[in-house]
Amino acid sequence: MQNRFGVKDFLFLVVLLATLGSVWLSMVQKTRMELAQGELKSKLADIEQQVAQLGRKLERGLEQLPQAAADAAGRRAATAGPEADAWARPGVAVERWSAPVPATDPESVPGFAVGGEFTELFEAQPAKLTPYIAGDVYSTRVLDRVCESLGRFDPKTLRMVGALADGWQVDPDGLWIRAHIHPRARFSDGQPVTAEDVRWTMVDYIGNPLIEAERARSTQDNLKEVKVIDDRTVDFIFKEPLFTNTLIAFGNPVLPKHYYSRFEPSQINQATGLLVGSGQFRLERLPSGPDQLDTQWTPGQDVVLVRNEQYWGEKPSLDRMRFKTIKDDLGRLVAYRNGEGSMMLPTSPQFNTVLRDEPGFEDTSYALKWTNMRCGYSFIAWQCGPRNGKPTPFADKRVRRAMTMLLDRERMIQDIWDGIGTVSKGPVNPESAGSDPALKPLPFDPDAAKALLAEAGWKDRNGDGILENEQGDAFTFEYTYATGGEISERIARFVKDSFAKAGIVMKTRPVDWSRYQEILKLRDFDAITLAWGSNAPESDPRQIWHSESVKEGGDNFTQWKSARADELIEKGRRTMGEAERMAVWREFEACVAEDQPYTFVRVAPWLRFVKREFGNVNTYKTGLQPEEFFRMGAPAAPSPAN
Amino acid sequence: MVSYLARRLAFMVPTVLGITLMVFCLLAYAPGGIGAGLAVSGGQMSDTSRVAQMQAYLEDRYGLNDWVIVQYGRWLSRISPVKFGERDLRAPSGERVAAPRTIDDPPLAAAFPLPAVPAVEFTAASGDDLVAQFKKLQRDAEGTRREYIGSVRLFRDALADWARAQGDEMARRLDAKGSADPDRFRGVAFDAASDGYPKLRAAADSMHAKWLAARQAQALAHAAFRAGPYPKSGIPLLPGLVSLDTPDLGVAFSKNRPVWDLIAAALPVTLLINLIAFPISYLIAVPTGVLASVRRGGWFDVLSGFLYLSLYSVPTVLAGVFAIGFLANKQYLGWFPVSGLHESGAEAFTFLPYTDAAGTWHRGYLVDTMWHVALPVLCLVYGSFAVLSKQTRASMLDNFNADYVRTAKAKGVPRKDVVLRHVFRNSLLPLITMFVGIFPAMLAGSVVIERIFTVPGMGSLILEAIDLRDREIILANTFMIACVNLLALLLADILYAAADPRVSYE
Repeated sequence: MQNRFGVKDFLFLVVLLATLGSVWLSMVQKTRMELAQGELKSKLADIEQQVAQLGRKLERGLEQLPQAAADAAGRRAATAGPEADAWARPGVAVERWSAPVPATDPESVPGFAVGGEFTELFEAQPAKLTPYIAGDVYSTRVLDRVCESLGRFDPKTLRMVGALADGWQVDPDGLWIRAHIHPRARFSDGQPVTAEDVRWTMVDYIGNPLIEAERARSTQDNLKEVKVIDDRTVDFIFKEPLFTNTLIAFGNPVLPKHYYSRFEPSQINQATGLLVGSGQFRLERLPSGPDQLDTQWTPGQDVVLVRNEQYWGEKPSLDRMRFKTIKDDLGRLVAYRNGEGSMMLPTSPQFNTVLRDEPGFEDTSYALKWTNMRCGYSFIAWQCGPRNGKPTPFADKRVRRAMTMLLDRERMIQDIWDGIGTVSKGPVNPESAGSDPALKPLPFDPDAAKALLAEAGWKDRNGDGILENEQGDAFTFEYTYATGGEISERIARFVKDSFAKAGIVMKTRPVDWSRYQEILKLRDFDAITLAWGSNAPESDPRQIWHSESVKEGGDNFTQWKSARADELIEKGRRTMGEAERMAVWREFEACVAEDQPYTFVRVAPWLRFVKREFGNVNTYKTGLQPEEFFRMGAPAAPSPAN
Repeated sequence: MVSYLARRLAFMVPTVLGITLMVFCLLAYAPGGIGAGLAVSGGQMSDTSRVAQMQAYLEDRYGLNDWVIVQYGRWLSRISPVKFGERDLRAPSGERVAAPRTIDDPPLAAAFPLPAVPAVEFTAASGDDLVAQFKKLQRDAEGTRREYIGSVRLFRDALADWARAQGDEMARRLDAKGSADPDRFRGVAFDAASDGYPKLRAAADSMHAKWLAARQAQALAHAAFRAGPYPKSGIPLLPGLVSLDTPDLGVAFSKNRPVWDLIAAALPVTLLINLIAFPISYLIAVPTGVLASVRRGGWFDVLSGFLYLSLYSVPTVLAGVFAIGFLANKQYLGWFPVSGLHESGAEAFTFLPYTDAAGTWHRGYLVDTMWHVALPVLCLVYGSFAVLSKQTRASMLDNFNADYVRTAKAKGVPRKDVVLRHVFRNSLLPLITMFVGIFPAMLAGSVVIERIFTVPGMGSLILEAIDLRDREIILANTFMIACVNLLALLLADILYAAADPRVSYE
């Protein structure tokens, strides 16, 4: 049978061509529609700019009216008299704050221009952006640009100053806090920030059992009630006078009730990009209601923030901020070099290698390295209590101090981290006032260490080079670390060698990270290595260091019990005055450093490469303030790119 | 043929069940267990017992305390279209609302008798208020349940303290961690005069009070549920007993999003890359194999074999690094982009390329995607030529010696026809086997490539899920891959029957 081209083949061919033709035509039509849409969008952006400018002019005019009237009447207008504090409780001092201004004024830096886009390269994708539900560090970086809290940490002094709040009163007995919201404060959609928004955020959002804000909810334990006094005044009532009360009141971003109450709790739980606040930037893609949830940001796309034209304070000069994820380390560096990113976090080896091998690199980039309040520390934890019923050699404080003195931590930092980092001396962040600069880390002194070990009963009794105690048991222990990474392997080898020189036999136990949680929970280790992060100048040490936290559920997995430390912790927690509290933390730091339940290894500084196309890039004790950056001689607003 | 198909399809069901049961058990018994990623670390929290309560609540929420087989059964019933029991409601937002869960009785009910539960009265509100009433009761039920679970945890802690205060005999009933499992204290006579008893009694009373509150809140919420604030979902088969409804893949607890959304976002990306890669690899490898077999031992055969095997030997990671370092780096060639699937700002692109009034050519979304996909496809494809072309070459060479080839040559059939129409068609069987291997591979994605080029596909989704022991994603993925794999094998068998008349399933 021959395969002739017949009628049905002809029909098939026609249908096929018609389908392909219509697909092509629809693509062309889509292109035409998108071009038209692009024009509409730029027109809208212009109109928005103009409206915002008009609004600002109006406000400035309104503010000047009383001044003008008073001038006309020949009197000086009262700026902060008794009427201004009508909201405050009598008898307690009011701390007043002005609207937030940049720590370094960008307009004073030469080359200042408005406009431009700043792209930050992330190492991993944030899973969600919705506040209080998203937990990872990347979503926090985005959240910090979009939302504001009642207070913030001053970038230069690390003290708590007002952000949304223009005044507050803190009860000297620590049981209540009253805050007054700045009258100009507004969310990015123009609605004013009210006390009801604050109450709703704390009680009906974080406190709602149907919304999965578990972590935030559990830090609010001590909050008894949030009361709305008037439109702009809110009271926080606490159960006990703890210093963390100010963090609870001033540290939580305020969310708009009118926006979030449009959604069901289950929709909020599952949403990936419902992020609205009063900050300097806002999300470009934001669903306005539950029927638009499909348009929200999802992981896999870049996070794009645009300048909040309705910002109630000083607006940022950048038009947009973009957050792009590139997982591969090399790919990230190449993308940064190609100009696809404006800022990246190099790994420690990359930082030094790039600076060494490329002499011209610093002409086009800032290479920043500094310690700030967000730097945590890495450590080796010694099991001070029994492990599975049996005591470990580390129950004795002298042994722990000796272990620390046997490690040449300076050399570790030099060899393993290429010199980046400083030796950590205690649990308190070195930038904070709670850390005593006079306290030095234990020195590297193997002889003194051996003397201490001998005092504790560990001597080489039979000449085999290994230390034994009176019962004749050799000093061996197990060192647990997480697999995945050359650095943890190198640390393990270095540590093993250091101890072997002193006659201590160390066995390594590499485990998968997912098992780590279980091991810590069961306190099933002799020595384990870990790191704590930080995101505030001071934190409550109770969960990690108090003897109550030795119980299951607490983070005192070394089972270290010290009556003196317990006493200091309780005292510090209840000291409301900052200067006195910092003094207590300094004593606490000394107490922990004396006992060495951890060998504190290293404080890792922040490393950043930032393109020199951006100005006013300053390092602060809080980190970086990207909203103060500006693009030098910025190009026009971004258009459909080449 | 039909009976063969029916038999194969019927056998698939127990196979898939077996696969998912095995994966489930492996996950459950692996160190870290299910939901290791759920572990809460204290850090900022001020109170140890609150952390313990939160952990207890999370375990209850995800049903992690039940036996493995019960948890598996629950997963099966969620995923099957045939549902038993009360029908779920479907909210207007499309979300499925289940009946409020029942509350277990408090432990040690014999030693600490339960209070009587008063009956609850429920009057349904009318009209729109019904929905608001249901939401409020649902919120109350969840809140009281949470408190009850927390109080059970506190009771257990108090029990552990009491046991330790009694001395070694009781303390032996505690487990290795030092916490008390109430079941091991059954039958113990609690002496009211012993130390620690008042605290234990107080904890038990508080637990009972919270249990009562939770029971009543749950009963009210259930009554509100039955009053029907939303329409019921699914199709009833036997009203109240059996119904049909869409399968529910669950909510991933590491990401807290429905599994279906996660897969629906990752799958098209993986499919895009694989659907472009496979035709390319076949269209290059198969003709090369045919040509190599026709001129066996010639320079083309040797050269192509050498080239393909060298490419095959290069590991993907190294190839990726070279690709980024040379092809994507503006310091060297820089012809391709470094990562991702779209340019920054591609959302604002037009679909097709165009030239604007100023004469600049704009790439357009389609061309931009193709340009970004080029490097991942290259890394996926370069190693696959070797196997395919060698396989084609080998089976062609086998067929060259067949007697029908001799007959065709003797008949005077042109050489081209002999090779392409006769020999090639008969060499297709091994290629068909390998071809159906595409389908599961398309679902699995390639983890290495996705990591190197930051492509948000199925590979990285499943790897992250395994790392965090996210049961829902892993099971949904396993289930999908198992089904597709079995169907692909069935397809291969059918294609055999079509391609080779000697194969028959009667």
